[in-house]
Amino acid sequence: MVRTPAGMRRAAVAAVAALSLTGLAACSGGDSDSAVPGSGGGKGDDLAASAPVAASLPAGSTMEKIKQRGELVVGGSLDAPLLSQQNPATKKVEGLDADFGRLLAKYIIGKPNVKIVNSASETREALLANGTVDVVFQTYSITPERAKQVAFAGPYYSSGLVIATKKDETGIKAPADLKGKTVIAGANTPAIPAIKKAAPGAKIVTFGSDPECVQALKQGRGDAYVQDEAVLLATAKQDPSIQIQGKPFTSDPYGIGLKHGDAQMKQFVNDWLKQIQQSGLWAKVWKNSIGTVVQGEAPQPPAIGSAPGSE
Amino acid sequence: MNVITDHLGEFGDGLLLTVELTLLALAGALATGTAVAAMRVSPVRVLRAAGMAYVEVLQNIPLLVWLVIAVFGLPEIGVIAGLFTTSAVVIALYQGAYTAEAIRSGINAVPAGQGEAARALGLTFVQSLRLVVLPQALRTVVQPLGNIAIMTLMNTALAAAVGVVELTAAANRVNLAEAQPIWIFVTAGLAYMALSAVFGLVTGGLERKLAILR
Repeated sequence: MVRTPAGMRRAAVAAVAALSLTGLAACSGGDSDSAVPGSGGGKGDDLAASAPVAASLPAGSTMEKIKQRGELVVGGSLDAPLLSQQNPATKKVEGLDADFGRLLAKYIIGKPNVKIVNSASETREALLANGTVDVVFQTYSITPERAKQVAFAGPYYSSGLVIATKKDETGIKAPADLKGKTVIAGANTPAIPAIKKAAPGAKIVTFGSDPECVQALKQGRGDAYVQDEAVLLATAKQDPSIQIQGKPFTSDPYGIGLKHGDAQMKQFVNDWLKQIQQSGLWAKVWKNSIGTVVQGEAPQPPAIGSAPGSE
Repeated sequence: MNVITDHLGEFGDGLLLTVELTLLALAGALATGTAVAAMRVSPVRVLRAAGMAYVEVLQNIPLLVWLVIAVFGLPEIGVIAGLFTTSAVVIALYQGAYTAEAIRSGINAVPAGQGEAARALGLTFVQSLRLVVLPQALRTVVQPLGNIAIMTLMNTALAAAVGVVELTAAANRVNLAEAQPIWIFVTAGLAYMALSAVFGLVTGGLERKLAILR
């Protein structure tokens, strides 16, 4: 190691500390660490305990290979509140998508053993095609274009896009009001085509993550922020300066991504989904995640195979 | 291949923005780099220290962090500019640090006798730098400057993370609608390659034209 005078070293440490503080201040908007909604503690394990296990697996099937491996490899996120977010204290991934992944693992293997591979919307199709992941649980909206490359079981959940604004905004109540306005959206989210369709005159600005979008909205880089309801509900609950305007204006069916052409596994996953919907386990998973910020009873799950692309 | 031809407009807009961002950033980087390199070889101690501090601070923090700090941090202290403007300035300042180092190495390659002779003729420090040292220095660092130009081009892709719809962001948006990542990103990659090939050719031509025979 090169020896440096103590004074210089101290100055360097101070400079680094000051810079990291600037960095922290820059993104203090969306990620307050206390009260992360959906961190239901041990509840996820209770869910898995009562979850069904498949009576038998067809010989030579993908499911049998997964069982032999002893682990279900899931393509998912680690930073999506309420859906699939890693709890920094326990390292456990919590949320709707994460719980469904564990339940599917339990159904196939008998134990909720899941390994989450952090996938992105650019890589999901390729990860499924080359067998890196077995399934994708990642707010994977079913579209006919995507269905040409992956098989979709489900939909297992239906969400929709809502508009959020600053608290004092009064001119934006419906998608049509976005015309001529600057609208913030997450990069690589279905919000971009949806805004183009609902308000063709709107200027769209995108940022990589939800906290960045919220920060940009608060700093006035746009008049409104369009994002999935589940994500925005969590944000608005944490941050009183953000307000949600109106009800969802799109219907966004989430599917379970599987390898294209694996009809056997798709059938198998759909059967499992039917079972957990009928037994009431689906509603419990909803209560455990999104139900912590949305009032009332669990909604009716979407009909399996109802979305174009999931037939 | 329909994926590409159906979205030529989006790719074109993205490419145009990438080129604009690169050229603006390069012009800024060259100006900043020359000024900082001059500071680093100046006879004034404070200026030398300031030049060194500039290079160290800019180079030792990743560009993405600088972009995020500028886009989300500066508005907190009341400085808010457009996303494109902010990105162009940040990339120019960042690349300026690398440019300064390249130019300084060029200055060091000029024999000390040249500077001494210039001073002996009665030129001031700025005059000797401008008329004698820099013209020789810049000629020797055409190739490293060309590399920095290519690096600047590649680094403009990071502006996609702060909402500038340049080529990478445009490719992302097309992919969102089409879900054909391989074709779409290969196309974007080829466009970047073509642009950097242009930089390479220009650099090579300049180097041959400006070569000093010693």
